[in-house]
Amino acid sequence: MRTKSFKFIVSLIILLAVSCDEPETVVTNYVHPDGSVTRKIKMKSIDGDINKRFKKSDIQVPFDHTWTIRDSFELDKKGDTTWIKQAVKEFRNIDELNLAYKTDSGANRNFSRETGFKKRFRWFNTEFRFSERIDKELSFGYPVNRFLNREELLYFYSPESLKNDKENGADSLKYKALSDSVKHKTDNWTAKNLVSEWIGEFAKLTKDKADSGISLKYLKSREDEFVRIVEIDDKQLDSLWKNGIVLKEFVGEANALKFKSEADSALSLTTNKLLAEFHDYSVRIVMPGKLIGTNGFIDSSQVLLWPVKSDYFMTEPYEMWAESKVTNMWAWIASGLFLIFVLTGVIVRIIKKG
Amino acid sequence: MEQESEKYKKVLEILRNSQPVLDSTDDIENEVIKRISKINEPRPNLLNLIDFLFGWVYIGWVRNGLITASVILVMFFIWQQSIILKRIDLLSRQAIIENVETISNPASEVERGIMMYKLSGRRLPSRNLTISEKQMNQLLDSVNELQTKYKDLIKLIEDDPELKSSIEKKLKEHNQKKTKI
Repeated sequence: MRTKSFKFIVSLIILLAVSCDEPETVVTNYVHPDGSVTRKIKMKSIDGDINKRFKKSDIQVPFDHTWTIRDSFELDKKGDTTWIKQAVKEFRNIDELNLAYKTDSGANRNFSRETGFKKRFRWFNTEFRFSERIDKELSFGYPVNRFLNREELLYFYSPESLKNDKENGADSLKYKALSDSVKHKTDNWTAKNLVSEWIGEFAKLTKDKADSGISLKYLKSREDEFVRIVEIDDKQLDSLWKNGIVLKEFVGEANALKFKSEADSALSLTTNKLLAEFHDYSVRIVMPGKLIGTNGFIDSSQVLLWPVKSDYFMTEPYEMWAESKVTNMWAWIASGLFLIFVLTGVIVRIIKKG
Repeated sequence: MEQESEKYKKVLEILRNSQPVLDSTDDIENEVIKRISKINEPRPNLLNLIDFLFGWVYIGWVRNGLITASVILVMFFIWQQSIILKRIDLLSRQAIIENVETISNPASEVERGIMMYKLSGRRLPSRNLTISEKQMNQLLDSVNELQTKYKDLIKLIEDDPELKSSIEKKLKEHNQKKTKI
């Protein structure tokens, strides 16, 4: 109850205070057996201003005038309008798609993303693997699976629609408790990442400075103490940091004075990475043939779905992958004929010998 | 040539002089004629085809090679299909999403953003932002204040089961509306 109310208050304040221009975007990749990809982007916006709506710089994935575009709108019962833009483009291969990512000038242009496609001939079947990967943000962070158990991990990576259904479904109490547990543990994970990244960056900046006496190993040994300070109170941390008390505590008075600028630079680098402005969206993949493996969420028509959030690739690359197979009928027939041929030969020999 | 005909004549003479003692020469003659006529008879096509197709069964290394290849093929088929079936079975156990329409959760995203901002000692990232540090701090203070003030309200709701269930119902409706969007 408390969490719900808090979420509601926060969202209300933010919605009033900050105008968010990014559309709600779903990218669907239709993968073909020859490696070409038909990409469809569906964007929804409630922004009434035609000039602000679907601005290229606000869109989460590469998009330009070369796409086939269709505009429409939906009216709800209250008469509110949702503007919809659908764009489709054929990519001959993943190189074209990766080039689009490299030259992207959209909202997520600062994040390294790439796609991969593999086609493997396995005689009876041909297997396909398609993936979209986003590189990790932090260099010294901890993998989230060290903080969450299997069930919590599944919940952490779940799309909002699934979380919502579960939290309002039959086992709502169980899932609310799970949600709270995930939140608590991921908060701790974030604090650990912040400190670990700062330590890593600070050690890197001071590594070549003679006689500093600050080693990565030493700083790492005091990481948990640092995390506790960070978690206590943000206002207190701010003043403790500004007065240099935190630094003195961890690296000694002389080093704190000597390396104040390095410490601030390391914190600035860490903050920039941690608060990197990523605009969430969803990826869907439709594979050729029968689906045989994925790390995504499946709907009843075998369409796969992944939410894409900055948390997912904070400390580890986030790879959304799917594998499928297409049966090679000719190989089945050829193998069958070959087996019949050999078997008949053996029978003929037995008969003639007899 | 002459030498060969000489030899032939000698062989014939030897054979004539050493004739076997035969009881039923007619039977033998008949049998020989029967067999000779059988050799000249055309063989059925099917038998020819079988001999042509399966001549390899009499060549040891070809026979063994083809049998080995067949066994490997069958084993490969079984191994491949069992792996695929296992993977498909794993997939079928995965939760199926009924509602494929994606919805964002701005509340949790903002909450997380605020948490990170707090953890980083209230430092804004060095990029162009439409909101100043002062405004951000004001916003945070307001959120903190609201949290404190709402504690009393939440306590009041918690103590009144009727009010609690009514508010929970409203929240549920609110979430369902969001899902539809």
